[in-house]
Amino acid sequence: MSTFTLLVNGEKHRIDADPGIPLLWALRDFLRLTGTKYGCGMGVCGACTVHEDGVPVRSCQIPLSATLGKTYTTIEGISADGTHPCQKAWLEEDVSQCGYCQAGMIMQAAALLRRKPQPTDQDIDSELSDHVCRCGTYQRMRRAIHRAAREVSQT
Amino acid sequence: MTATRREFLKAGTLAGAGLVIWLELPTSAAAQAAPIFEPSAYISITPDNVVRLWITRSEMGQGVRTTLPMMLNEELEADWAQIQYQQAMPGGHFKGIRLRTSGSGSTVGTYSALRKAGATAREMLIAAAAEKWNVPPSTCRAQQGKVIHSPSGRALTYGDLAQSAARQKVPDNPPLKNPKDFRVIGTRVKRTDGAPIVTGQATYGIDVRLPGMLCAVMARCPYLGGRLATFDAAKALATPGVRQVVPIKSGMAPGVAVVADHTWAALQGRDALHIDWDPGPHADFDSDRLLQQMEAALAQPGFFVRNDGDAPKAIQSCPRKLEATYEFPFQAHAPLEPMNCIADVRGNSCEIWVPTQAPERTQSEAARLLGIPEDSVQVHVTLLGGGFGRRLFVDYAVEAVELSRAIGHPVQLLWTRSDDMRFGYFHPNDLERIAGGLDESGRPLAWIQKSVGPDLSVIGLPSEKDLADPKYYFNDGSPWGSFDNPYNFPHLKADFVPLNSPVPTGPWRAVMYPPTVFARESFLDEMAHAAGQDPLEFRLHLLQPGDVLTVGYARIDRSRLLRVLQLAAEKADWKRPLAPTDGRLHGRGIACNVYDQDCYIAQVAEVSVGRQAGDIRVHRVVCAVDCGLVINPAGLEGQAESGIIWGLSATLHGRIDFKNGAAVQENFHDFEVIRMNESPAVETYIVPSEHPPGGFGETAVPPIAPAVANAIFAATGKRIRRLPIAPEKLKA
Repeated sequence: MSTFTLLVNGEKHRIDADPGIPLLWALRDFLRLTGTKYGCGMGVCGACTVHEDGVPVRSCQIPLSATLGKTYTTIEGISADGTHPCQKAWLEEDVSQCGYCQAGMIMQAAALLRRKPQPTDQDIDSELSDHVCRCGTYQRMRRAIHRAAREVSQT
Repeated sequence: MTATRREFLKAGTLAGAGLVIWLELPTSAAAQAAPIFEPSAYISITPDNVVRLWITRSEMGQGVRTTLPMMLNEELEADWAQIQYQQAMPGGHFKGIRLRTSGSGSTVGTYSALRKAGATAREMLIAAAAEKWNVPPSTCRAQQGKVIHSPSGRALTYGDLAQSAARQKVPDNPPLKNPKDFRVIGTRVKRTDGAPIVTGQATYGIDVRLPGMLCAVMARCPYLGGRLATFDAAKALATPGVRQVVPIKSGMAPGVAVVADHTWAALQGRDALHIDWDPGPHADFDSDRLLQQMEAALAQPGFFVRNDGDAPKAIQSCPRKLEATYEFPFQAHAPLEPMNCIADVRGNSCEIWVPTQAPERTQSEAARLLGIPEDSVQVHVTLLGGGFGRRLFVDYAVEAVELSRAIGHPVQLLWTRSDDMRFGYFHPNDLERIAGGLDESGRPLAWIQKSVGPDLSVIGLPSEKDLADPKYYFNDGSPWGSFDNPYNFPHLKADFVPLNSPVPTGPWRAVMYPPTVFARESFLDEMAHAAGQDPLEFRLHLLQPGDVLTVGYARIDRSRLLRVLQLAAEKADWKRPLAPTDGRLHGRGIACNVYDQDCYIAQVAEVSVGRQAGDIRVHRVVCAVDCGLVINPAGLEGQAESGIIWGLSATLHGRIDFKNGAAVQENFHDFEVIRMNESPAVETYIVPSEHPPGGFGETAVPPIAPAVANAIFAATGKRIRRLPIAPEKLKA
């Protein structure tokens, strides 16, 4: 057991835990941030995606020992009130079905838009294709990302 | 429209956490502000002007938290913003009301009841207002959450009227609207629960946290039908955070549960277990060998499924005969939220939080295991991170109950992805052999289809007594897709040879249709090409004269199938040839189906195949639908897109193999599914219909595999008869 200071969504949390515990389970079981989902546990479905210093990462693959000095953002912290352009566009395009993958998708899409404010369809393909949506909402997600990009460009 | 949620902030009890706990509980009826107006099990209206609707199906992405309120409010005339929804629980005042979510039945099964519930409440509210104003009820109308006295313009809100409405006589047959006057049904309504999903606040089963709750995972016997022999828990118990190690027998995959303070500790403890398994009787089971047995079984006589005319004799007389065999492998459901359940057994009662499609069965099986009355088991149905049929089984709930009883604590039992992939109730593998005969002028005369595979009876496997009846499968109407073959062959014969295996099977999205429709619609394409006819025209001829086919219990309106075929072809520009581009061959394919009598669908897929690599791209799918009255067109389009992606995953990637008695695939790296880069553009066109609503959660799945396979044939001349499609077969 070691003591870690985890910086998540602008708040510092002290956690006494095994250094090997993946960030995913620390977020879910210790910090109660259950918006970040467990889907595969091996970094192949994208449901657990969070931002590490602004870069999308698979939280199931990051041990607590690797979080030192990093800042993290989860779906709960991507906007104060659900008004991130991706969150708004997701509602406008009525994307979600079961919704379980969507937090990971939104985190990945938000990072794409920051890096590339006007993504092409090919950009979206290469950015989002490490994620799984079993309900198959890809077409609406694509539309939502383009919509969010338009909003970003207008503001 | 908002979800009712009560958030409890309590001191955390998970080890090392010391943080807040968050949980969502449906508000129980007793906790609501009294007195209330509760004209039926579905609705209550309180003086604070809130309309509460109990959702009597599980939300798993099909949109019941949107469509059910729409159907209710069509008659109720409340203000949409004043409706709150809560998830119904089995027992109590829902006794006798179905809560199970299956068979694309959420709309069909609630449409009449919800409209009646809405109309009943509306009439009683009007009666209450008329009484108060001392005017005839016929001079009052309900609108936007108010009753208005038309001549004077006086108005009272539903909240104002709740108490006096509760005293009114419940009408037996409240007047229902003429569908022509619908103002809610048929409009495009976005998901009511979208906001909590995109902000990470939606509570799936895996997200529920109870005070004092422990976390558990299981090591499961990898062999089908195997058992626990011995285990050594010493190292597991020495893992920090691990509390107990408990053998569990009640589920479909028995093993050893490791109970810990948090999930990661349980996972670490599981890895530290030393277990000897008794592999049981199926340790050498191999799905390739099962397939060989199935091929041999094609020669056996089967159970009668259909027999119109004399197909064996007619086919002998045909100058042109074809025969082909199609193969569909085992498939996993793999919803993205793995199986999980929280159980809290306390003495002679039990409380369960579970993402389930089968709340009643969860309650009854838990009660049976514990030997207590069903009423002593409370089942909270959470949001489901996908269901697809897997969550009709309650194995994962019952084992959580067994574990909670053993340790005397509330506990969440979580399946890992590998557990979920290897220990399912799989879609059965299947072989379909079809023979067809064409007469001198290329007209189809005879069709003989034989299905071989594990039985998949939704209501349970037939007994020996059942199977003594040669008409058992005909009466059961299965296999779907073969039994209800909509085409007008003068001679048609269908048989089924059940061949069971140790693999547990169960309904997957679209249940029995995917393999039979893949074979049927592919073979029709083969016959059309053999006859030198256009595959669309060939189908249109075979559906003449557009009459109603009656087979067993099923009534199939061929005119509705004709209409969707024509609409899909028109929108897809079927007649316009597709030119080859940049090293790729392009083609279109068409397929159609009738899902359980009342949902008619046709799809045209546009596909290209790399000339060298044989890689497949599905560019566009045009989908035409007649499923009767559509409650929410936006929801239907979503289900079309969803069903097509689901079916496409199985067409291009999905299969589960068994070697040495165990499932081979165990995660999304070896059980691949369609992702963004392979997702086609889907266009959905709805035929306006005055027929009653049909279910659409599964309808779009079956036609996509044959539509794609037929498109590949159009592009390359190569015929696909085995799924998933192997690109190496399409290489130059």
